[in-house]
Amino acid sequence: MSLSPDAACASMAGSQTERVREPVLELSAAGRHGFMLLIVGLYVFLLAPLLVVIFASFSPDQRNVYSLSQASLHWYREFAASENFRSAFVFSIWLATVASVCATVIGFVTAYGVVRFLDRRREMGKAIAMLPMMVPHILISLSLLLVLTRFPVPELAALVVGHVLICLPFALAGIVASLEGIPHDLEAAASTLGASRLRVLTEVTLPLVAPGVLSALIFSFIISFGDVDIALFLSGPGRTTLPIEIFSFIQWESSPVIAAITTVQIFLIVAFGLAVERLVGLRAAMRI
Amino acid sequence: MPRIPGGLTVMRSVERAPGFATALLTPLGLLYCVCLLAPISYFLAVSFLRYSPDQLYTSTFTLDNYTRLLFDLYNQNVVLSTFRIAATVTLITLVLGYALAYFLSRASPAWRALLMFLVIAPLMTGVIVRTYGWIVLLGGDGLINQLLLALGLVSRPLQLLNSEATVIVALTHLMLPFMTFPIFSTLVTQDPLLVPAASTLGARSLRAFFEVTVPLSRSGIVMGSVLVFTLSAGSVVTPALLGGRTVMMMGQMIYQLVLSTFNWPLASAFAAVLVFCQFLVVFAYLRRARNVAQP
Repeated sequence: MSLSPDAACASMAGSQTERVREPVLELSAAGRHGFMLLIVGLYVFLLAPLLVVIFASFSPDQRNVYSLSQASLHWYREFAASENFRSAFVFSIWLATVASVCATVIGFVTAYGVVRFLDRRREMGKAIAMLPMMVPHILISLSLLLVLTRFPVPELAALVVGHVLICLPFALAGIVASLEGIPHDLEAAASTLGASRLRVLTEVTLPLVAPGVLSALIFSFIISFGDVDIALFLSGPGRTTLPIEIFSFIQWESSPVIAAITTVQIFLIVAFGLAVERLVGLRAAMRI
Repeated sequence: MPRIPGGLTVMRSVERAPGFATALLTPLGLLYCVCLLAPISYFLAVSFLRYSPDQLYTSTFTLDNYTRLLFDLYNQNVVLSTFRIAATVTLITLVLGYALAYFLSRASPAWRALLMFLVIAPLMTGVIVRTYGWIVLLGGDGLINQLLLALGLVSRPLQLLNSEATVIVALTHLMLPFMTFPIFSTLVTQDPLLVPAASTLGARSLRAFFEVTVPLSRSGIVMGSVLVFTLSAGSVVTPALLGGRTVMMMGQMIYQLVLSTFNWPLASAFAAVLVFCQFLVVFAYLRRARNVAQP
């Protein structure tokens, strides 16, 4: 059903808020219902694989049973008892912490330099800083692995460097955005009043961009914790991340213990995601 | 520099302090040069060297790896199926992502934050968690098969895993947010009065949609498509877990060449072709974006 010219004129005469809310694509009732059905279907599609994992984790035995009355924590106990998975979990947390702190520190220093000191070349500086996002991650990890096999570099260092590299673009872009959002006059005022450059940085700039820096830190943690492409080639005995441990396990067998582990991971990540959402908005942090 | 009456100099928005600026930009520059550009150049250079079973490579120049990649039937097939899968995923996510983006851009602000969080939250749980979700959903004793059996529609569990279709479904799931949000950004900034205006000028509703709304969101469509295409062409873990023996994409091929046959030169050639094709796509995107900016 098309919007007739009269109806359009009538609706344009409405108040500003009514105009903005007006559905732009006028469909017939059937079309509207069809569209809403598609959207509901898409949300089911997006969330089903996660919900099904959460349900399967409470299953009482080997089979994936989805019933609340038989819910058991058996597989969570199994996870806690499994030396491999537990140590992979701890290692992943350690790695994500180290990588996100490094990425945030380097990201802040670079972002400050780019925003405050690069004049005409600022856009170029930002583009160069995004470099690791433009190459496929497996290329980064393979190259680092090749370096490992040819030169006496500690293996753990390569893994940390790889994770710092993939976190950096996100950390940096987030901090650049929050630095660009604060008025420069405040720093200028502090400096006019005699504060040293370092004091301006620590007492004026940092507190102002703290939410951006914190969300860069959390977001880098999320990126590192979920990564497979880098760890796929750079993991090894004693330094296997949780996603890689899961990957090598489910290549051969399936067990609800994986569901229990991934459920823990889902809740951890969603909690962190909510924190980022509160601080700066997730979409801004993801750069999409 | 502007001077204020007291004779003080006000800092300009960009300071002149070359030493300090260099100190700030050096760590990242060093990191990228030493740990990113140098290793990648080294790795890609290996694609021009001859393979030897007992060392990583021999230092003889050769184009063999590329001829093997382009003219060997099996390798050709790997390259073609990679781009076929990536293109299919891009098309499906374009249609579905557009619908979702359109819905989100018209949703009431009170609900929008939650609705967007539900789209983006699965994205953050990582590739492994979501791929595993598909295994649980589609496996022999998975939810879909249990439902089908309970409803009496099938007598034995269906084989839903290990096919190209499974890989495409899972990749579509992984990539949908990357298509939705760039399109959403262009839709949400459109003037909501444009379509009523087009209708006033006599355009029917669907025509207004395809001739006004869609062309104005072109930059989002192109950006989303590039993201989805490059990300899915480079995927390793999802096809490895869901494709079984039937699907072989370039990422998996590289993984196997490096970790089981230690053929670094051929793996490097595969990686070079992958990166080259991705850059072609990005380059086409940049040209396109410029044409949109300056029609």
